[in-house]
Amino acid sequence: MEEKSSVAKVLAIVPGLAVMIGTLFLLRTYVEPWMKDAVVFGQKGWLVQVLSLNYILLSIIAGIIYRNVFFGGKIPDWAEAGFRTTRLFIKSGVIMLGCLYTLQKLAKVGSIAILLISTFVFGTVFFVIWYGKRIGMERSMIGVMGASCGVCGVSAAVATAPGVNAKPSEVALAIATILGFGIMTMFISPFIGKALSMSDYQFGAWVGTGILNSGQVLATCLAFNPTFAPGTAVAYGEIWNVVRVISIPFVVFIITTWACKAEAAESCSTGSQMSLGKVFKDRFPIFVIGFFGMTALSSLGWLGAEGSNTLHLMREVMSWIFGIGLVGQGAYIDFRELRRAGGKPLRVGLVAGTLKYVVALIVIMLFVSKDASF
Amino acid sequence: MSDKAKGKMTVFKTDRHEDAAAMVFVSLVVIVVLTYMAYVVPTVTIKPSQDGKLVSIAVQTDQEVKKGDLLYTFEYKDKKFVNGQLEEKLAIKEVKASTNGKVLSVGVKEGDVLKKGKNAILVMDHEKGTLP
Amino acid sequence: MKILLALDDSARAMDEAVRLASERGAGLTALFVLDTGWSVYIGSDFLLGSTARSKFLEYTRDDEYAQERATVEAFQKRAQAAGLDCIIKTATAGRVPEAILAELAEGGYDTLIMSQPFRRGLEVMRDAATQVLKKAPCDVLFVRREE
Repeated sequence: MEEKSSVAKVLAIVPGLAVMIGTLFLLRTYVEPWMKDAVVFGQKGWLVQVLSLNYILLSIIAGIIYRNVFFGGKIPDWAEAGFRTTRLFIKSGVIMLGCLYTLQKLAKVGSIAILLISTFVFGTVFFVIWYGKRIGMERSMIGVMGASCGVCGVSAAVATAPGVNAKPSEVALAIATILGFGIMTMFISPFIGKALSMSDYQFGAWVGTGILNSGQVLATCLAFNPTFAPGTAVAYGEIWNVVRVISIPFVVFIITTWACKAEAAESCSTGSQMSLGKVFKDRFPIFVIGFFGMTALSSLGWLGAEGSNTLHLMREVMSWIFGIGLVGQGAYIDFRELRRAGGKPLRVGLVAGTLKYVVALIVIMLFVSKDASF
Repeated sequence: MSDKAKGKMTVFKTDRHEDAAAMVFVSLVVIVVLTYMAYVVPTVTIKPSQDGKLVSIAVQTDQEVKKGDLLYTFEYKDKKFVNGQLEEKLAIKEVKASTNGKVLSVGVKEGDVLKKGKNAILVMDHEKGTLP
Repeated sequence: MKILLALDDSARAMDEAVRLASERGAGLTALFVLDTGWSVYIGSDFLLGSTARSKFLEYTRDDEYAQERATVEAFQKRAQAAGLDCIIKTATAGRVPEAILAELAEGGYDTLIMSQPFRRGLEVMRDAATQVLKKAPCDVLFVRREE
């Protein structure tokens, strides 16, 4: 395989990217307005209001249809490089979300988020360790499942696997389980939230705590309420998301230490030389710094006053960036692969995931007031 | 053996590079948006941020306004959770000018029903270098 | 007569291929496909920090090479025991069935032997048998995996 030049690499992105942008454009200019007016079951806009089929879910669904129907289960080579930019767009969107807060607001909600998340992270990790041992799962896979069910789903699984020497084929099963569960919750959560008439604050907190895969938290919040503004579901969900992402290195460190403790030294190659500092350096997602940078700018008032046309335009641009990224995210969902999730990872994932989802819902409904905190 | 079996990461070497690229991209977007709003955009159309009813309008066509001057007031249904109950009550919101500028035209009259993001209430020219 | 054996960790498939090749006096080629699909499989995940992704991809690559060594060794042992001369090839591909089909198209084989379910790389998540069967230009023998 010859190394391609940088120019060729960038050019390779164009076709896939064009598909993503074109799709979002069609969805936002034609499909969503049509759905808002369409009368289904005697109610105007039923598709959008009841099924939450706003442009966010529509972009993901479009991506899923590309992959599963048109592409026949594999992103074709011409589109592959372009679709991979989905990460860049979502990361950029996450950074831009920083403009929804000021530092004081972030500190206020962040402390509640940290409390809830750390409780649930460690609760889930301990549950997975107990349950995994009970059904006789390998220690390395308990580590992977513990990290992924505890914090951030796929990212945590991938970040933990090399350290605990988990078998890649088992990790593949774990990832399919987590993704499948995440997609399910992404479509049913807005429905539950509306049925229980949850406030944006409660919904953001619930989804941020209860959803297995952090990648789907923002999309779920946006499906519930597609507005980008302070006090919407996505504004709260994002705080939860950022806290979770920051906690990945810590959880990876703790779990790897646990998984390696009982193993023979040679099977845990990284165990002996592992330190928290090194894990942090290798696993810390730097784009989070950008998020705080945006919050700082917005606290200083450099991005325009709240309610100004400038901020409005900024959030409009942000919604497009997210939308483009989400088409790409959808294209990575292959139902044929998800259906083959199985074995012990599936059992552990389903049990731990459902438990976390339901317990988080109960805790939020009981202890978190509907009154928005900002 | 080569790294053939490792797979590729589009243009970026690691996620660290990708994160940096995302930050650069966002910085560019922010700079473009701010520059556009401060210097390029010729006029700004002020639209309602919520559904409601216009109570009064405080400015006229061709009037110069200063930052903080009252532009218009409108009445809207404020939905808020109070003690776990969704309460709806009518609230009055005063909208003030966010920058110095001049009113070019007034598109609504008192008593008009306003749709979020639809009606053009005012068209304004703003002082260059400020964020409307 | 030429036989292609698509290698995975199934010992039964290897035995069957060696037996068939000896019985018929056929030339046997064994193909091991290294799966490079991991970067696509985890491609959508945007929350990975710093070098976590590349570390994991290196880890899967090393695992692929380790499996290649172990599988090829296990096969050679069987072939030697049967006194069979055979060719061993390796290929890399994003999807394993593509590499198998490419080899079939190139080599003019009469029979393909593979285990079912086929467990090479990420094919544990997919259905290699259907993919191969759809386009195979020759006879295909699926060998049940020992469980």
